[in-house]
Parts: sequence; C-alpha cells; structure tokens
Amino acid sequence: MRTGRRRFVTRKVVFAAVTVFVVVTFNFFLFRVLPGDPAVGGLRDPRLSPERVAALQERFGLNDPVFVNLEGGNLLESQYFAYLGALAHGDLGTSYAFRDQPVSNLLGTALVNTVWLVLPAQVISIVAGVGLGLFAAYRRGTKVDVGALSFSLIMWSLPTFFLGIVLLFIGANWVGLPTAGRVTIGALYDTTWDQLVDIARHLLLPTATLALVLLGEYMLIMRSSVVDVLSEDYILTAKAEGLSTSRIISRHALRNALLPIVTLIALNLGFTVSGAIQVETVFSWPGLGQLTVSAVNQRDFPVLQGAFLLLAISVVLANLVVEIIYSWLDPRVSEA
Amino acid sequence: MSDRPRGFRGFRRHRLGMIGLAMLGIAVVVAFVAPLLAPYDPYANVTITIADIFQPPSGSHLLGTDDGAKDVLSALIYGARVSLIVGFAGAIISMLVGGTMGLIAGYRAGWLGQVLMRITDFFLVIPDLALLIVLVAIVGQSLRNIILAIGLLGWTGTARLVRSQTLSVRERKFVLRAKAMGAGDWYMLRRHVIPQVLPLMLANTVLVVSLAIISESTLAFLGLGDPRLISWGQMLNLGFTRGAVSAGAWWAIIPPGLAIVWVVLSVTLIGTALEDLLNPKLTRHHLEPEEIVATSPSGAQPVEDVLLDVRDLTVAFEGEQGPLIAVENVSFEVGRGRVVGIVGESGCGKTTTVLGALRLLAPGGKIVDGQVLLDGLDLSRMEPDELRRLRWDRVAIVFQGAMNALNPVRTIGSQIVEVIRTHDGDITKDTARARAGDLLEMVGIPRRRVRAHPHELSGGMRQRAMIALALACEPDLIIADEPTTALDVMTQAQILELLEDLQEQLGVSMVVVTHDLGVVNDACDDVVVMYGGRVAEKGPVARVFREPQHPYTRLLLDAFPTIEDPGRPLVSIPGAPPRLSDLPPGCRFAPRCPSAFERCHEELPPLYVTRSGEASCFLLAEPAFAGDEGV
Repeated sequence: MRTGRRRFVTRKVVFAAVTVFVVVTFNFFLFRVLPGDPAVGGLRDPRLSPERVAALQERFGLNDPVFVNLEGGNLLESQYFAYLGALAHGDLGTSYAFRDQPVSNLLGTALVNTVWLVLPAQVISIVAGVGLGLFAAYRRGTKVDVGALSFSLIMWSLPTFFLGIVLLFIGANWVGLPTAGRVTIGALYDTTWDQLVDIARHLLLPTATLALVLLGEYMLIMRSSVVDVLSEDYILTAKAEGLSTSRIISRHALRNALLPIVTLIALNLGFTVSGAIQVETVFSWPGLGQLTVSAVNQRDFPVLQGAFLLLAISVVLANLVVEIIYSWLDPRVSEA
Repeated sequence: MSDRPRGFRGFRRHRLGMIGLAMLGIAVVVAFVAPLLAPYDPYANVTITIADIFQPPSGSHLLGTDDGAKDVLSALIYGARVSLIVGFAGAIISMLVGGTMGLIAGYRAGWLGQVLMRITDFFLVIPDLALLIVLVAIVGQSLRNIILAIGLLGWTGTARLVRSQTLSVRERKFVLRAKAMGAGDWYMLRRHVIPQVLPLMLANTVLVVSLAIISESTLAFLGLGDPRLISWGQMLNLGFTRGAVSAGAWWAIIPPGLAIVWVVLSVTLIGTALEDLLNPKLTRHHLEPEEIVATSPSGAQPVEDVLLDVRDLTVAFEGEQGPLIAVENVSFEVGRGRVVGIVGESGCGKTTTVLGALRLLAPGGKIVDGQVLLDGLDLSRMEPDELRRLRWDRVAIVFQGAMNALNPVRTIGSQIVEVIRTHDGDITKDTARARAGDLLEMVGIPRRRVRAHPHELSGGMRQRAMIALALACEPDLIIADEPTTALDVMTQAQILELLEDLQEQLGVSMVVVTHDLGVVNDACDDVVVMYGGRVAEKGPVARVFREPQHPYTRLLLDAFPTIEDPGRPLVSIPGAPPRLSDLPPGCRFAPRCPSAFERCHEELPPLYVTRSGEASCFLLAEPAFAGDEGV
C-alpha cells in the first residue's frame, strides 16, 4: 500500500519534471521560431547601421546555431543551451522597458503581489463553493438549489474582466473604494495597521471579482458531485446503520464528493491564471498578469518570455501538489 | 443499452435549451442584418467635438455615445459579427484538430496514441490565456491570427473527450465483430466509430464556442484584438481605458458586457440541454426528505413470538404519469430465530419490500399503506430520530454486491467502529476497535485486515466484511438482500454456509432475499414467493416446495435444478414479469400462466389457505376449498 503510493508520487514528480523541461524548451522556440522573432525584430530598426547590427548580433549570440551546434566544435555551443545555462543561474535576461532591471527581479515582485490576490480568492471561493454546493445538493430541487444553479450559470457566462469593471464602477462611483494599485500613492501611514487597512481596501474588489468567478464553478461541480455521491449504495448503508444526517455528510459524503473538486482545482489553475490576468488589468494590480499585459503592449519580450515561463511552471507545480493531495484523499488512485 | 447512439431527439421539449436557441437566433439575425438595424455606421469617420463624447442615452443615440462620440447601439449591433465569427470559426478549428487527435489517439491506442495524449496533457497544463496573449503578441493582431490562435488552443478538451469515447466504442461487441470480419480502418471509423462519437462531440463544441467567444472578448479587452474591427471586447477596452468609469458613462460599458453575456449564456444553455439529452444525470439521492405514510394504522395487536410483522405493506414510486405501485398488500411474519426467504424473479418487488419495511426506499418511493411491526413497534410511522436509533441496533442489512455498499475511501475497521460507537455512546474507541477485529475473525477474515480498504479485498471477502458490519451491534434481525449475487459458485456456497452458521450460533432472525431457490431450500424455514409486487404463495419451505399450490411457484421449481432428481428436464417460464407502469388488471401472473382462465384476467385473487400455507390463485377457489376464502 505504502509502496504503491510512493511509486505513484515518483511517477507524478517525473512527469512534472519532464513537463517543466518541455515548457522551458517550448518557451525558447516560441520566441525564436515564430515570425515575430523578438531578437531579430529589435535589430530591424532602420536607424541601426549594419556594423552596429552585426555587433549586437554577436553580443547576444544571435549568430550561434539555434538548437545544437552541428557546424563542428562543441555540440552545446548554441543559443538554446546558452539559454538553458542562463536559466539554471536564474538569469532571465534584462527588461527592454524597465532599463537595466533584471527580468527575474521584476517577476519576483509581481509574483508576490499575485499570490496576495489569488490565494485569498481561491480560499474564499473553495470554502464558499464547497459549502454552498453541498447545501444546494442536500436541498436538491428547492429554491436554494435553483438559485445556486442560476448563479453558477451567470458567473460562467460573465467574462471576468466585465465583472471586474462592473464592481469597479460600483465601488468607485458609489462606495468610494480605491480603484487602482496596491496602496494609495503617496500616502503616509501613522501605524502599520493603517497601512494594512489601506492594502486591504485595495485588495477588496479584485479579490471579490476573482472569488465570485471561481465560486460559481466550484459550487456547480460540488453540487453535482454531492448529488452523485449521495445516490451511492454506501450512503444507503450509512443511512441503514442509523448514522445521523450530519455524520453521513461529514464522514461519508464529503470526502468522496471533494475528489472531483480537487481535480477541478488542478485543471482550473490555468483558469485562475487567466482570471488573475484580467482582474489585475482592470484594477491595475501590479502582479504577474499586469506585467504580462504591459510587456505585450511595450513589446518587452524578455519580460513576456519570463512571465509566461513562470506562469506555466507555477501551474505545473501546483498541479503536482494537487495530484499528491488527491492520492492521499483517495487510496484507490495510487494502486491503479 | 442499444448500440445506436442517442440522438438529440427531445431537444424541443427542453425548455432552457429552446430559450438558448432563441437567444442565439436573435444574435445571429442581428449580426446578419446589422447594416439595416444600426442607426449609424460605426466604421464611418466623423468629425467630433469634446461635447459629443460619452453623451448619455437620448433620442438620437438610444444607448448614448462612446469615447469617440460614436453611437454605442450601432457599435453593439456590428460587434455581434466579430464575436460570432470568432466563436464559431474558432470552435470549428478546435473541433477538427481535437476531434482528429482524439480519434487517432483512441483508435490507435499504441505508441501513437500515447504520444498524442502526452501532447494533449502538456497543453492542458499550459495556462491558455497567457499562451494566447503571447501567441497573438508575436504573430500580430489580425482577425485571422486571432481565430487561428483561439482555435488551436481550444482543442485539448475535445481531444480528451473524443479519445475516451473512441476507446469505449472500440471495445464494444459490434465493433469488434466488424473488425474480426476484416473491415478496414477507414470503413470502421466512418461506419462505426464516428457516428458514435459525433453527438458527444457536438455537445462539446457548443462549450468550445462559448470559450472562444469569451477568449476573443478578453483578448480585445486587453488591447490585443484586431484594431480595425469593432467588437464587444474592443468597446469595453476603449470605454475602460478612456475614462468611461470616471465619467460615470455606464452606457459605454454595460451594453457590450451584457451582449457578451447574452451570447455566451445562449450557447451554454444549448450545450447544457444537449448534454442532458445525451447522458441524463442522476437528480435524486438518498438523503432527500422522506414522506411518512399518511393512513392511520389498523391497530392490530402484536403477536407473541413474531419478531417482524409486515402487514399489508404497499409501496409506490413517483412515475411520470402518477404513482407506480411497486409492492401491494404484502404481509408476512418472521418468527424469533426463524429464517424467511423471499423469492421471485428480478423485478417482482422483493428488495423493495424489505427496504420499504425499513423505510430505506430509493428516492421517490414511499409507503402508502400498511404497517411494519418490529417487536410490536411500528416502524412505518415512527419518528425519524427514534427509527435511526433502532436501525442496525436491532435490524441490520447485508446488502447485495458489497463493493458499493462499503465506503471505498474508508477502511473496513473504521466503518465497523463508527457504527458500534454510534449506537453505544459509552464504548471506548479501543474497545470498539478490538470488537471490530473480533467480528472480522468471526466471519473468517484475519483481524489485521481492519486497516484494509474495500478495494483491497476480494469479492467474497468484501461480502464477509459486510456480514461482520451487520453483526456489529448484535441485531435481532438481519436482512440479507441477495447476499450471494455476483459471487462465483464456490464463494456463494461459503458465504451461505457462513450465514447459516452465524444464524444458528447467535439465534438471530433472518430474512433472505434471493432468486435462488437452492438458497431458500438450504437455509430458510419459511418462504414468501413474490410476483408482480404481490405475495403469490407463502408457508413453511418444506411444505411449499413439496406441494406448491400456485402455478408460479410450481414453474419456478420446475425451472430450478435439484440434486435429488438430476435427470429431470428444466423448463423455463416464457415471458417476463410485468412492468410497474403496465400491470395486468387481474392476477399479475395470468398473462404467463398456463392454467389461467377468464376470471384470472379480470379479478385479483385473494390469498387462500392451502395445505401448505397460503396462496393467491383462483384455482384454489374450487368447491373443495369453498369457505376457506380470504385471510
């Protein structure tokens, strides 16, 4: 039993490692091979003299072979392996737009801000989604249930950025909440508490937007999952055993019903990233999403490449964590 | 299940689906006749002054003007074109790519399939909006590129779905047969696989359309749409970045947003309807509130030495055309220490009778009449809390097919400990655990298996664990519902022997529900033969089996092999038990009965007292028996 679990985890870790490697390679070629080659693009500037272009090409190693060096000498003397080498040292290059800023620094700051936004939203939406989904399933067919279903349907149809704008509109024009950024610019705080309150006020609307969007989906899945589980034979057994309804739900239904939710959270990480990109754009929240969008608008390719890599690897790693949690929740998985 | 794929028949009766279709229809018409509907041409160049910007709705501009002083309504109408084109063109690309990948991966499950699935897995973990942004940023923001990028990113879900469906179709008998007869790959795909996969794929495409529409509007909102085209996302982008929020110009923001919601909602409703039609989902469950029988009890006195007394039990299920009677006027008694067998073909109401007696009916079922006395206590009208305390403590059940009757994610031991502690609040965890081990040993499972999960035990072992669970609270009555079904013959014999031994050892009363007359013959004292939800015959096993009075009992016995007379030819009963929605007016068995006469088809026969017990058959109403009528 134990060894089955260990083998399962090992297999998943290997798959994640391979995926990360493929992501890294994919990321490299995405930016080299497609028509808009950023390195070449930058050198197309007509103001540059041919000598200057040649010098720059030499400096950025653009004359080296792209993938492997087949022109004699060291096989590894190529742009691809130079990229891998730099990456291994955490070197993601230098931003075009923010002068002399290493991409890794920009990403680090942005990542922390994104986690501040995404983590509370995820926790709130999972807890509320599981709770409401459970209740809707238990009270199947009642008004509560119909309301929950309609809410999920609307949330699914509502683009995240639009919900964000609507909340922003209400918050800014009628409630008086801050509309952009992480803190009030130029504000001086008397106490740390005041500073925290200011950050919380800025976080309120973006978190609410993201949480509402995720909530709809979690609730829908939880509801159908609970209805499925509650019609299983072992629930009839538990009822025949004279267990109380609350015990049947907490000890027999919940764990089994959570399994699809766990899978959904894993599959949804990409969806969460997409939500974060939109919410950060609407609320000018200085996270990874906003960094990505501004990198696109400024054609800041090193930052774009780095941000994409970081987002993709985060999703792969988070996926791995979720799969391991799953194997712990459902002992059958690791033995297959 | 039939081999033919379920189509989308019945869509017209799906209300939400039809609403979605109507909503989508309106959007499509608007997109087509946009130039006729729009009061202004949003693509025309106009000279503007500051005063024209963000004008609130008025007679000349029904939805006001935007940041470029253009009519919002006209832009809204033209915007439908981009959304719908991107949505449908993108979805078609996704469907073609994903469908092809999925078909190949499922049909050629070897290395090619593996490689394709790895590629799909890879794209599944890449955050798609991020990749979409990168792609469009690199290849340029034209409508064609956006459609291609959205189409090429939306295929993973379709590929997974088509693959799993193809895999399951491939294993079906008729496909294997066609293959064995030498059908070529292309023929197989065209004639057998694709028709099976297509409906599901269509339902999925609808989902892909809604994703594509949302992706397009998101891209446009982020400033990555085709700058030459007016789309709803673009309108939101311009309104948002050019100060509609601070200007309080809700009319520049709300209409395009609602337009997106309108189209996505319409498509989602259609998709939900299609999915409902393809695989109708379960909608009921075991914890729904139950209805307690409404009629007043007959007030009959409990009988000495009778542990379970079922009187005139009638059970109905909700049907589409009103209630369906599944069990009607069933009465039988279980004496202390006796074993009663309930026997009959599948669908005759055996299990419904025992589950009904304990108020454990499937959702939608309820007792409409009758009484169930356990040691004089009326289970049928008891308060739910009181009933719960009594369950398992006094009457336990061994369910059929123990795989699903035990919770798959909890250990056997924890499930036994849980029920012991539920009914005995004083017992410590350790004592309960020790008792769980004892119980497992009692049924022939090594006690260390308390830590095993159900899937780690063989079928026979699981059934033993189920029996141990049933014994946990030392009940007075055990109901075994098809305890040996789905086990191999050797294991069947062992489980049966175990049940017999335990019954003798503990002196517990038992009800055994089975379609196996051998089980009744070996293990039971009394037998109740059921047909069409009613009692056909009942009495002591020895007498009923020697002198069956009801033609149905006789035919059942003829259809069953005996060791005493192995040379006797076996005769099967032609036909099948009646459906609940289509019960014959007279005796339920009359349509299949070789001895039926006119009266049998018109009236329900009462129970007549016979030499070997009681039986419900007009043949017994002959002059010789006159006066014995009714019980």
